[in-house]
Amino acid sequence: MVSNENEYVLVCKDISKAFGGTQALKSVQLKIKPGEVHALMGENGAGKSTLMKIVIGLYKQDSGSMTFEGKPYQAKGPVDAIKAGIAMIHQELNPEPHLSIADNIFLKREDTVCGIFLNKKKQNDRANEILRQFSFPYESTTLIKELTLAQVQMIEIIKAVSSDARLIIMDEPTSSLDSEETAHLFRVINDLKSKGVAIIYISHRMNEIFEICDQVSVFRDGMYIGSKPIADVSRHDLIEMMVGRKVENVFPKIDCEIGDVVFEARGLTGKGFSNINFKVRAGEILGISGLVGSGRSETMRAIFGLDSYESGKIFLNGKEIRIKSPADAIAKGICMVNEDRKNFGLCLLRSLRENISLPNLPKHQPHLLIDQAREKRECEDVAKKLTVKAASIEHTAYSLSGGNQQKVVISKWIMANPKLLILDEPTRGVDVGAKAEIHALMCQFAAKGMAVIMISSELPEVMSMSDRILVYHEGRIGGEILRSEILSESVTEKDILAKAFGGVSG
Amino acid sequence: MSKKFIVCLLIFVLALGLVACGQTEKPAADDAATESKADAPAARVGDVNGDGKIVVGYISKNLTDPFHAPINSYAETTLEQMKKDGVIDSWTGILDGETDPNKQIDRADECITKSADYVIILPAEAEASDPAVTKLVDAGIKVIVVNSKTVSTDEKAIAYCGSNDVEAGRMLANWVLENVPNGGKYVHCTGVLGNSAQLERGQGIKEIMDKHPEFEMVGEPDTQWSGDKCANATTDAIAQYGSELVAIIADNDDMSSAAQRAANDAGRSDIICIGVDGNQNPLQMVKNGELGATVLQDGVGQLTAGIEVIKASIEGREFDKEPVIPFVLVTSENVGQYLD
Amino acid sequence: MIENIKISRKNNDALKRFMGNYGIGVVLIIMMVAIGIMEPSFATKNNFINVAAQVSINGMIAYGMCLAITTGGIDLSVGAQLALTSCVLGQTITNMNMNIWLSCLIALAVSTAFGCLNGILIAKFNMFPFVVTLSTQLVIRGLSQVISSGKAISLTSMEFKGIYSNKLLSIPVPIVMLFVVTIVMYLLLHWTVFGRYIFAVGGNVNAAIASGVSEFKTKVGVYTVSGLLAGVAAIIFTAKTGSAQSNIGIGYETDAVAACVLGGTSFAGGIATIPGVLMGIFIIGFIYNGMNLIGVSSYYQSIVKGCVIIGAVLLDMLMNKKNQ
Repeated sequence: MVSNENEYVLVCKDISKAFGGTQALKSVQLKIKPGEVHALMGENGAGKSTLMKIVIGLYKQDSGSMTFEGKPYQAKGPVDAIKAGIAMIHQELNPEPHLSIADNIFLKREDTVCGIFLNKKKQNDRANEILRQFSFPYESTTLIKELTLAQVQMIEIIKAVSSDARLIIMDEPTSSLDSEETAHLFRVINDLKSKGVAIIYISHRMNEIFEICDQVSVFRDGMYIGSKPIADVSRHDLIEMMVGRKVENVFPKIDCEIGDVVFEARGLTGKGFSNINFKVRAGEILGISGLVGSGRSETMRAIFGLDSYESGKIFLNGKEIRIKSPADAIAKGICMVNEDRKNFGLCLLRSLRENISLPNLPKHQPHLLIDQAREKRECEDVAKKLTVKAASIEHTAYSLSGGNQQKVVISKWIMANPKLLILDEPTRGVDVGAKAEIHALMCQFAAKGMAVIMISSELPEVMSMSDRILVYHEGRIGGEILRSEILSESVTEKDILAKAFGGVSG
Repeated sequence: MSKKFIVCLLIFVLALGLVACGQTEKPAADDAATESKADAPAARVGDVNGDGKIVVGYISKNLTDPFHAPINSYAETTLEQMKKDGVIDSWTGILDGETDPNKQIDRADECITKSADYVIILPAEAEASDPAVTKLVDAGIKVIVVNSKTVSTDEKAIAYCGSNDVEAGRMLANWVLENVPNGGKYVHCTGVLGNSAQLERGQGIKEIMDKHPEFEMVGEPDTQWSGDKCANATTDAIAQYGSELVAIIADNDDMSSAAQRAANDAGRSDIICIGVDGNQNPLQMVKNGELGATVLQDGVGQLTAGIEVIKASIEGREFDKEPVIPFVLVTSENVGQYLD
Repeated sequence: MIENIKISRKNNDALKRFMGNYGIGVVLIIMMVAIGIMEPSFATKNNFINVAAQVSINGMIAYGMCLAITTGGIDLSVGAQLALTSCVLGQTITNMNMNIWLSCLIALAVSTAFGCLNGILIAKFNMFPFVVTLSTQLVIRGLSQVISSGKAISLTSMEFKGIYSNKLLSIPVPIVMLFVVTIVMYLLLHWTVFGRYIFAVGGNVNAAIASGVSEFKTKVGVYTVSGLLAGVAAIIFTAKTGSAQSNIGIGYETDAVAACVLGGTSFAGGIATIPGVLMGIFIIGFIYNGMNLIGVSSYYQSIVKGCVIIGAVLLDMLMNKKNQ
């Protein structure tokens, strides 16, 4: 048994941690082998992030111990963890945008002369060398702000590896990457693996887990459920382990009656998109696929009035309308769930009630003073209908999990009773249970006669939920796919990807 | 939760601690009060409100000006001594007027709450601080106004102890006339506009200078009693007028000494700088020969006169209702007797 | 058993929220009791009336400041607004012999207009509120010096002075005004759509815009109200001192900010309560009043004040951490 432990790079034993009254972790285990990509799975709040924060020293466990490379290990903070050989790449990357790549790679371990002055030249040369090893196409003096999100993430990984990390923790690394970037990331991961670096991979995306991981450990409600080689489990097994119940169908699309055209865009052109033409009908879910930056979100932002468009016309119920601001759009019955929930979705420090009623105040509260009782009643109703899990609607939005926050955002738009509901990445960072619930809700809205547009980077989601799919390619609509084609399997994921990349399917 | 309370607690322990610092004097004061009550007759002349205690209030103009610092500390030592001697039973401590009439009126409220019998006030403004005086008088308190008048001082206060600022202005102008007989260009650096000292000193300067066409005023910058601003104005004027500039007249001597220093640094020690107050720094410069002269306003003398009024009133003696404390021209000859 | 635990946790939650919002009230009460024990003359009706009348000026300014801070900004021009409004009052009442109520209206219109100007500069051009109000503050004080030529204008009208000294049902008028403004501000911030928009813009301006809130209207509204309230404060100030002059109100924004911070207004924006600010206003008032009555040397008073404010900010940060 003891000799066995030595074959692991990281062993966490009986780790427990409580926050106030809630037990976040109950005596959990985790064993990671060198050169292994180890998936951590579980719904949001299952304890994965807490455990990882203990590993890199952001939290201290109440009880339990860890060994790293056979020696007892306890980090006092992230810097300490990096020194020991453990690096974490966070879900939200925020390196200093005005630093150069080299500055960022050597942040906190700068090359100095006499301990004060930076040795810029030497640092840049070394950084260039490292970048070339990873065939990264930029010079080390490039500023971080000039890179795409995926490239920044790459820099973070390079930084981790260059600091001689033997264990890299990746928290939702693909959440903001498109398919091509994801593929590139996976190549890097495989490369690291072959060098003997262990990777802990946290993700909600089942496909990725099966594609890249060797071993999977599942957590539920702060408990360790089990660990299995990925080859021995099926998707169904994993979902069952995570939610503790049988899930029949992850994406339960219900077909609804499709009515008249509600919304139409004609020749819409703006920053990042040009000559966009499409129609959405009542009861229809229109899926939009494409790479990140292909103009899909930009089009929707322009329709909602967050950005402006240069030319083209939009029609609602057959009448031409002009939208200058989100206030206009909301008044006319167009609502949008933004992909960036934190920045565009919620005032995190305000209560759920205030968040839900915010866009609906002008319509629902015509008098000088707000009728708080009515407001409370209406918000509670809609929150209940959308199965928002919160003790009270007076709690702050901050206190909820990602999935519940998303449901609050959807709640506020449902209360507005829109004619057209646009959802941009509605299930990003949302756990499996909530994801299925959000999908069910979308079907309900469609059934009530709403027109729904859903943007998603997850192909299985788009394919199972949409009545029709538009595929964006470089700011234009590159193709249209009907549900019947998907059901008959005459169109596959591969075909959609091919359209998104602009190539002919082959 | 617990952390929150610790912070709460900490703040209050701190606040109470400091409060207690001020408090330590208190029991002694009470002892003195009971003592003096025992040997004093039932109703003393000085016990204006008839509560058996003589309480003196002191509302300062501010705690920050170098001119007011010695006045305040003199008030503290003298009134403490009077308390020890049993002349008065207690006093309010130095109340900070923050050079703000609004705050002075608030401090007057507190003197009333403390049932003061006499209040010494050094008004921040002639007009705006007046409600403090009237409020105190209306509450039956005998008010002694020191340093500068408020509009109803003559009518309401039992005494005014101050100096004549117009006279100070004349002294400034005369010093310049004596030292630069040929005339030339000069700059007048003012105090905060609207202060009575600024207005009256300016009036005195103008009165004299208007009779002497050989002098030309080339600027009247708003230097707000600030030495720093006055020094800047001086260097600007030197740059602009060169050798034609002969004098800087400043409304106070923080400014005139800063101006002289700036002039000396620019190699123009021939420029005559003079101002009013007699603060320690200018006096030191006079002693070192860096500054020709300064006009001393005897603030401590004014306050001494005010306290004499209180003593006389308590003892039932006659007193001068408006003692005028003269300004003194301090030069290298007499500086020794005013420097600490 | 489980039920019981649930209930107790719920109560604990409510208590936490209450302490988060009004914990400063406990501080205020402890403070009043402590000073009252040390100095009996503190706990008299007259002294409380004095303090309430004294804080009315800072109170008005603090409410305006609270709105500005809640939207993530600050209004540094309030002190200068005080001076300008005062000078306008002096000019119209004394030098033009205008009806005092008409001149009050004109004075309020002037301060409101400058508040509105602040708001437009901040919202339209997306400039930092700190920079904008720092600059307009200079302009406004300069204007007041121009209007008054730097001289104090005496206001002898007893009717006008009565705004400070008169009593309504044996309560001094400034206290009545503070009371009315408190109620109006409470309703404005907590019961109107405009108030909700203030919280939303301060809490997360992008999310607010994406929810159909006009950032421009909200910010302009906030600074306009701040200007109006500074004008009201100036009327009380001028009636109190009976003199209109351009050098008043210097540093008044400090006490107003302090009252806001004590009252739990978060500098990050999006969090504030009017009852909290009211308590902050009174704490500042009692610090001055209490220390003077006890006889704390004035030299130590500003140290105590500073420590209390830092303590309150620490408290604010701790609570925010808790809420997260």
